[in-house]
Amino acid sequence: MQVTLKIFRYNPEDNRKKHFDTFTVEAEPTDRILDLLERIKGTEDGTLGFRRACAHGVCGSDAIRINGVNRLACKVLVQDLKSRKVTIEPILGLPIEKDLIVDMEPFFDHYRSVMPYFVNDDPPPSKERLQSPEERERFDDTTKCILCAACSTSCPSFWVNDKYVGPAAIVNAHRFIFDSRDQAAAERLEILNEQFGVFRCHTIFNCTDACPRDIQVTQAIGEVKKAIIDRNLE
Amino acid sequence: MALSRKVSLSAGAKYKGGGPMLAWVLHRISGLGIIIFVTLHVIASFFTQQFGSDLGISINIIYESIYFQLFIVFCAIFHGVNGFRIIVLDIWPRLIRYQKESTWLEWFVILPLYGLTVFIMIQRFLEG
Repeated sequence: MQVTLKIFRYNPEDNRKKHFDTFTVEAEPTDRILDLLERIKGTEDGTLGFRRACAHGVCGSDAIRINGVNRLACKVLVQDLKSRKVTIEPILGLPIEKDLIVDMEPFFDHYRSVMPYFVNDDPPPSKERLQSPEERERFDDTTKCILCAACSTSCPSFWVNDKYVGPAAIVNAHRFIFDSRDQAAAERLEILNEQFGVFRCHTIFNCTDACPRDIQVTQAIGEVKKAIIDRNLE
Repeated sequence: MALSRKVSLSAGAKYKGGGPMLAWVLHRISGLGIIIFVTLHVIASFFTQQFGSDLGISINIIYESIYFQLFIVFCAIFHGVNGFRIIVLDIWPRLIRYQKESTWLEWFVILPLYGLTVFIMIQRFLEG
């Protein structure tokens, strides 16, 4: 079958303004959008810029907008699409470097701001720090994040305010806030209780729909909101 | 040089967020509708009571028109019920997994409530 891809183009070294280029390629129903992008880059236009690494939905490099919604290019098959015409655009809310490549640094700045690492000042035990299955289950969902930015860049609150930490940072804070072995939950909740923290979330649910790992992002954000409120009421 | 991160209104509106995003957009629009109504009401009262001005009466005509009333009643009902749904989900985050059901429930409350109100309003409007 033939698939027509309308792809957003922007080259900072070119005088042409941002525009769309259209390519028609042969495709199998089981081809991924990433395969089609590779085919275009390999045979039709070598200047096309996009990110990819593992190509198996693990590295999170190839988050793009496919027909107006954030998805990983390596996880969407041609047969999953309703139309043979596909519009490909970069994710929203981050500066566009070239074509489908965005500057991820502002996203990672927010990620780093919530202390996304294990904190425990007690001397390490001789073996591992034990945790019950129930305690592990408490934050299991949010351990799956691959930092693709699909959630944050689907969020209208993030689009309009670059200071908002965004869903991905909150998900990664959640992963440690509810870890029974961690000792810095109070600090993280303090950070997320600030003006551009968790209460900028308006429960829009775009993040949950966009997550390629099916993380219940809005629920995680809700649990962090609740933890902050409970802590303030104590 | 990289393109700005700014997301235009048209680019944001084209994002296909589905029902929950539509509910959020309607929540904002209905909130604005209520603000416009209250502002018009305050301005009209101010001009009428302080200056006995015709301007107040002119503003009254705007927000007392049947079309504006139908719009503002929808705004008030939708904003109230959707806001209540969001508050419930915020207080009990475990219910967020049932957000689709909560949206259906919300419309199950809004549509009969609005329909009944519209029926009574139009009946009275026709009676003069």
